[in-house]
Amino acid sequence: MSGTTVKILDGNTFVVSDDRGDIEASPTDPSGLFSFDTRYLSKWVLTVDGHRLQALSTDDLQYFEARFFLVPGTGTVYVDSKLSVIRERAVGDGFHEQLTILNHEEKPVSLEVRIDAASDFADLFEVKDALTKKGTSTAHVDDGRLVLSYERGPFARETWISASEPARVDEHGLTFDVEIAPHGDWSTDLEVVTARGPAGERHERPKYGRRAQARPDMARDLAEWIADAPRLVCEWEPLTEAYRRSLVDLAALRFTALTMPGHALPAAGLPWFMTMFGRDSILTSLQALPFVPELAATTLRALAERQGSRIDDFRDEDPGRILHEMRYGELTAFEERPHSPYYGSADATPLFVVLLDEYERWTGDTALVRDFEYEARAALRWIDEYADLQGNGYVSYERRNEETGLENQCWKDSWDSISYRDGTLPGFPRATCELQGYAYDAKVRGARLARLVWKDGGYADELEHEAASLKRRFNRDFWVDDGGYYAVALDADGRQVDSLTSNIGHLLWSGIVDKSKAKSIARHLVGPRLFSGWGVRTLAEGEGRYNPIGYHVGTVWPFDNSFVAWGLRRYGFKAEAARVAAGVLEAAPYFAGRLPEAFGGYPRSLTKHPVEYPTACTPQAWSTGAPLLFLRTMLGLEPVGDRLVVDAALPSTIGRLELLDIPGRWGRVDAFGRGRIDVDVRPRRTAPGAGAASVARRQ
Amino acid sequence: MPVRTPTDSFFEELAARGDEPMLRRTTGTVRFDLVDGRRVDHHYVAVRKGAIEVTDSAHDADAVLRVDRDTFERFVTGEANAMAAALRGELTVEGDLSLVILLQRLFPGPPSSSRAGTRPDGGAS
Repeated sequence: MSGTTVKILDGNTFVVSDDRGDIEASPTDPSGLFSFDTRYLSKWVLTVDGHRLQALSTDDLQYFEARFFLVPGTGTVYVDSKLSVIRERAVGDGFHEQLTILNHEEKPVSLEVRIDAASDFADLFEVKDALTKKGTSTAHVDDGRLVLSYERGPFARETWISASEPARVDEHGLTFDVEIAPHGDWSTDLEVVTARGPAGERHERPKYGRRAQARPDMARDLAEWIADAPRLVCEWEPLTEAYRRSLVDLAALRFTALTMPGHALPAAGLPWFMTMFGRDSILTSLQALPFVPELAATTLRALAERQGSRIDDFRDEDPGRILHEMRYGELTAFEERPHSPYYGSADATPLFVVLLDEYERWTGDTALVRDFEYEARAALRWIDEYADLQGNGYVSYERRNEETGLENQCWKDSWDSISYRDGTLPGFPRATCELQGYAYDAKVRGARLARLVWKDGGYADELEHEAASLKRRFNRDFWVDDGGYYAVALDADGRQVDSLTSNIGHLLWSGIVDKSKAKSIARHLVGPRLFSGWGVRTLAEGEGRYNPIGYHVGTVWPFDNSFVAWGLRRYGFKAEAARVAAGVLEAAPYFAGRLPEAFGGYPRSLTKHPVEYPTACTPQAWSTGAPLLFLRTMLGLEPVGDRLVVDAALPSTIGRLELLDIPGRWGRVDAFGRGRIDVDVRPRRTAPGAGAASVARRQ
Repeated sequence: MPVRTPTDSFFEELAARGDEPMLRRTTGTVRFDLVDGRRVDHHYVAVRKGAIEVTDSAHDADAVLRVDRDTFERFVTGEANAMAAALRGELTVEGDLSLVILLQRLFPGPPSSSRAGTRPDGGAS
């Protein structure tokens, strides 16, 4: 068996194979060719004269193509070097594979080359949950092509497999009788096309052909994407590396909705979450706003087009609610899963308004804000009319779809993420604290847009009044007196769920924190219970459920920390923000510049290096966005009117930093900073001082 | 007089709406082809920045949605979800898919959906 997996993708079509390029999925093994949440190939195995091949090396050339160098035989000691086999694969509406065999001998060779192919047409959810199929699969040969089909009533999916060289095609694959001259070579183009039929969309060919055709387009697109983003010049190599990695990964994570060709929004993660998510797409767009603002525009449009319009318990849909997740597979189609789309998220709706406002502040695109007045008002109305489940003036959540809906509708969505100090879990509904912060921020920002763009001063006054009232009540009801922080939630009885969590950092970001209480919050965030040295833990050491490798109960999440640092900065805690940024960014080199979803919450003094939390999905969109938001925060970038204000506060390890050609309503400007803050990543009291900054305006 | 079906009511109410804020950004035409055996009924919806006009024209449209008549009736009564039906292959769309995605938001939710957990007055505190 081959251990390493290779993943390539284009939009929501992706291939997961072993390092030989082979696919051998079991019902629960997540390899295959996937498109629109359906597996189109579960078997794709190459043999030469009946023997499997062995990988010499594998190149992930780009995120959408890979090259496998192979030799016959699977022995570990002796490599038969008389033949070389090269598979070059590019994904897109299926995939294209150029298979080449080189004969290194001085005499001709005769070979039987075989590709075994099959598909189980599993829904992505079935792969995760190991469910069995309800429809029927068939395979037949049609005009020299192998056609794999699946039907369940009107639902039909097909995989078409063909080759450019003559082949004997049967229902289980293709066989080639190959003669290769001395020192000669043989090559064939294999095309695998995913089709949704009989009435669905059909593609005659995969999107990309031979490499010569495939590369210029995609490579140029990627080069333009990177050239369009601000340029980072920095003395500290790990940051430059993380920045470049983030831009490339963001390019790979671009997802184009069928309704908006030519426009992309960030999907949540590669490969299993290559779809539209409310929360993930919004937060990633926020992180990336100073770098690639067009992601935010597309996210806002795509989510607005699908904003909830009716009450639907199965989908947890309400009028005005922003969707949680959209899926296209069989289980969604037959309503065994509610993702068509599913709306069970309590934060996406206020965050939609937050993104709309932040987008306008950066880009000055008031036309878009005018366009989405109705949707923004509907989102703000949802907060009061549909999200206040307990009638106590707070946003809370409780799923109405009890079978397949989400229990936890906040970002910490695992079963044990919200707990009291003693580790017990509250019932539902739950009003988590960051939801109140987001709701407050949405109202404040909505008021600004109402005054500036919608020209409705009365509505603005009303929203500001509601925001002020929410802030007053929140600071009274959520404040844990004996801890000096905010409770993570109120339970169904209005009682405080009193554990100390990273959520308090999101509260700083939202602005709901009373000035008098901010210092205590900042002290907790960089204090020994929350700060590990690599970042702020999701749950503080000492809490009943604390576990340094528990998903939301002790690990450090880079995305979480990027918003925590932004919050610290908002309340003037520059040095604390720089320390959180430094901690997480110093972890990046351990992951080749690609921050994982989460790493262990062990104290830095104990492990010396960050311990990765094992997840199937990498890169994760909001981890990819984290270095971008850290950059914004450390440089103190803030749009003020038509200017970009720069007020850098950088850790001294970073040295000199230039961010050139930052796009926005000002055109393009540069920002400079020099690291002046001595960051001690050990959790302790703050070092004084802030970085110097300057800004230059360019045409 | 033919019996007035939920489908008739849906298009009548749509026409009576005149202006629909959810479609304020939208300009385009959608033809609904409702199939009943050999018979095909046309409902032609023209949207101009939210202003809606409904006719029974069989003219070309920016999007043509073709679906079984009974299935469509289940959409307008909230008993079936159009997005899921589209994924199942029970309806086809030719042309501008985004128009259809916007228009299907006007279908009601399931009659059985309870809104459990929401205060009956639905107001802000």
